[in-house]
Amino acid sequence: MYGRAGNTVPHERMRVSFCTDLDKSVLVNNFEKRGWTQVSPDDDWNFYWASVQTCRNIFSVDSGYRMHDNQMINHFPNHYELSRKDLLVKNIKRYRKDLEREGNPLAERSEPTAAGAPRYVYLDFVPITFVLPADYNMFVEEYRKNPQSTWIMKPCGKSQGAGIFLINKLSKLKRWSREAKGPFHQQLSKESYVISKYIDNPLLIGGKKFDLRLYVLVTSFRPLKAYLFKQGFCRFCTVKYDTSVTELDNMYVHLTNVSVQKHGGEYNNLHGGKWSVQNLALYLEGTRGKEVTDRLFGSIAWLIVHSLRAVAPVMASDRHCFECYGYDIIIDNNLKPWLVEVNASPSLTSTTVTDRILKYKLIDNILSVVLPPDGVPDVRWNKIPSADALGNFDLLLDEELAAQEEQAQNAQPSTKGRGGGNRWK
Amino acid sequence: MEQLRDASIHHTAQKLAHAIKAMKNYEEIFKKVQQLACSPGVDKHDLRNTLEDAIKSTGLETEIRNIVFHLVRNTLITEPKSQEKLAHGTDPLAYLRRSAVQWDRRVRKSLNAMCAELSMPLQGQPRTVIDRDELISKWEELSNYTIDLSNYRPVYAPKDLLDVLLSLKGPQKPVEDTEQVPNWEFSHIELPVKNLFELRLLFAELFRKDATTTNLDLPTQCKRILETKQSPLCQHFLKKGKTPAPFRGELWSFVLSHGNDMHGQECEHWARLRNKVLTTDHIVDKLIFKDIQLTASNDDQYFVFEDVLYQIMLCFSRDTEIASQIQFEKYPVKGRNYDGPPSGVVPFHGICMFAAPFCYLYDSSINLYFTFRAFYIRYCHRLTTINTHPQGIVSLCLLFEKLLQTHEPQLWSHFRELQIQPIRVVFKWLMRAFSGHLPPDQLLILWDLILGYDSLEVLSLFAIIILSFRKDSLMQVTSLDNIEAILADLSSIKVLPLIQLALCRD
Repeated sequence: MYGRAGNTVPHERMRVSFCTDLDKSVLVNNFEKRGWTQVSPDDDWNFYWASVQTCRNIFSVDSGYRMHDNQMINHFPNHYELSRKDLLVKNIKRYRKDLEREGNPLAERSEPTAAGAPRYVYLDFVPITFVLPADYNMFVEEYRKNPQSTWIMKPCGKSQGAGIFLINKLSKLKRWSREAKGPFHQQLSKESYVISKYIDNPLLIGGKKFDLRLYVLVTSFRPLKAYLFKQGFCRFCTVKYDTSVTELDNMYVHLTNVSVQKHGGEYNNLHGGKWSVQNLALYLEGTRGKEVTDRLFGSIAWLIVHSLRAVAPVMASDRHCFECYGYDIIIDNNLKPWLVEVNASPSLTSTTVTDRILKYKLIDNILSVVLPPDGVPDVRWNKIPSADALGNFDLLLDEELAAQEEQAQNAQPSTKGRGGGNRWK
Repeated sequence: MEQLRDASIHHTAQKLAHAIKAMKNYEEIFKKVQQLACSPGVDKHDLRNTLEDAIKSTGLETEIRNIVFHLVRNTLITEPKSQEKLAHGTDPLAYLRRSAVQWDRRVRKSLNAMCAELSMPLQGQPRTVIDRDELISKWEELSNYTIDLSNYRPVYAPKDLLDVLLSLKGPQKPVEDTEQVPNWEFSHIELPVKNLFELRLLFAELFRKDATTTNLDLPTQCKRILETKQSPLCQHFLKKGKTPAPFRGELWSFVLSHGNDMHGQECEHWARLRNKVLTTDHIVDKLIFKDIQLTASNDDQYFVFEDVLYQIMLCFSRDTEIASQIQFEKYPVKGRNYDGPPSGVVPFHGICMFAAPFCYLYDSSINLYFTFRAFYIRYCHRLTTINTHPQGIVSLCLLFEKLLQTHEPQLWSHFRELQIQPIRVVFKWLMRAFSGHLPPDQLLILWDLILGYDSLEVLSLFAIIILSFRKDSLMQVTSLDNIEAILADLSSIKVLPLIQLALCRD
């Protein structure tokens, strides 16, 4: 029954059935608004909003499950290439090396300076990162170049700020590694960590540190089709930023994750520490000017596109899949964005009224982008949504469209290309 | 006639010269002129012409022109007629002036009562060393300066002011009039307000197609205007309602004060205010902290600027220049006078929301402060006190009422039938000039228009426009709560297209 052919079901009579592992109102309300009916995972479903674990099970060889043409699921089977901190860094490093080998101008490097190795001019968007314990020696080498620096340790597989701590002395790292290997922390020693250079010059607004949460929808990795949701937000620390050592252990100052901030004493239920990206842009335009603001948002789009390109070759680009990623980005005080991490299951819990409206809209827009015009999941659709279907999503890149445009341009050299699709080439 | 006009110009010039001489930076300007007089380009045989040229070429002329512009706008326009009438006891608005003075007194009295209740001296008391040190160390992060505010309540909120406005009783009307004139809330008040036709004339610039005048894009036009440093040109540019965000801060500061280049005196003045805050402990400090915590800190558009606002509002409360620049209503009323805070402004619920939008324009507290202060003195004060100004809150209420009755008669009767006073649902918008109600990008456009046309009338107009825009929904509900629910979320409202549409529709 699993292998049933999709085209035996006539579209007109097809009722879309959905199933979800997450009982979130922003999801269910959106599905029901479209007249879909809820079924259990064992029934025949068309649309599954699954947890990453379910998705992995469905795609695993052992399950024997084969999806038919009218089925869709909200994760790519190996999303962890992007969402695991160590793999993301590995993929980006490989992507840069590959480009460099090809002699691609994107991989240009600056002259080496006293402070460190030569940096990539255009692809320097993740803080220097090493995987521990594997890259320990490389880390020490880098650390010695700049012993005053602060580093942030994060467990590779955890999210929402769990297990994160800061290090500003090598001895502290050594102590941690000794303790982690002790008899009481058996499981810890197995887990790998990434250690990243801490962005110690973050952009502060009203004296407070923040990070950006942006939503990126990918409907295909080969060809790459990616969309950026306009309504991201800034997450603010509720406690003032201060780099003094005594504050180093106060994680509320350093982490802007809502799940961490919520435990802080000063969490505000009315705004939840969230400030819209539109307001950020208005503030930056008003106080810093239009050019730098545009450049910042351009760099953010650039960073997203290249992080996706870095993982595209290794991603299983199954046509049944799409995925909405939560990009966490920190902006430094030179208005340069840094990619901190990518979450494959961004929280759909609403902390405030505004948040609920935003997330409802996000799901609504995701559905209208990933579904063919008739609203029924169908892998044979070319995944080119109409401009109306995009809603609050902006097209970041559609390699298929870009290639088509290029062809059209070559065929008719007189017509000017719109330049929208292929600006990342 | 000619002679009369000459005499009046001469008279004005004299007044201006007097006013300039009394200014704080007069000495500075005079020194500059003296230096110019000694410069080689100035010929002592043709002093007048050569000195004038020198003044022009150094840009001092623009500076003096801007000073004259601000003096004429702010201080020289008085109401000689009403002064006269006041003297003769024939002022039809006498009762309004009396109410104004009484309201101001009542507000101060309640501040005094709060002081007595909490046994704090109204003039403030020296801060303890510990408190001062804490305040100094937390000056940049005042949200971490914790004080017990449980005993403090805002002195008044929009609703309190509205209740007083609605109870304003004019002189008795002749009996035969009452039948024709429906029982309006404000119609008996003899303040002149514009009709839609006059508003259309006022806002004519909003429709003018400027394709013929220039083919430069807006940011370039704006840059050129800022280069001239001329306040009137900056003001004119704002009239289009299409101000590019990066230039708004500088345009506003030219229109409201002296541009973004802060002189030494402004910095000194700011430092003095800060010092006053650090050395004296005043009851208004508590009220300010309370107000920010009740409003801006909870607002998802402004909470990030909480700490900036504490600084701004604390310094604002100590600024005695505000008291001297605000035009208070005058009317002899018997009874005790009460002292107010140094600035003369008793903080009310939401006062910090007037300063909050400025956080989107300025990174520097000093620039923010002086532009906000000028905005407050010129506009906000008229919105939050009872006054007879043609753009004061009373006039705006009357304007709202007349526009609603004339142009949305259906809504008007709907409200009448429900026995809901329409002003009740829009008053908080008017009193706060929509701050905290419109999203910041739209609010700043609305405030561009206030500054550009130097008029608060756009507030009443815009309130009508929103009601009219949501008319269909409003007609379907029958309770105040439901009406307020329909009008609660203004996040989808776009200021410019709605105003243009409303003004060009017949």
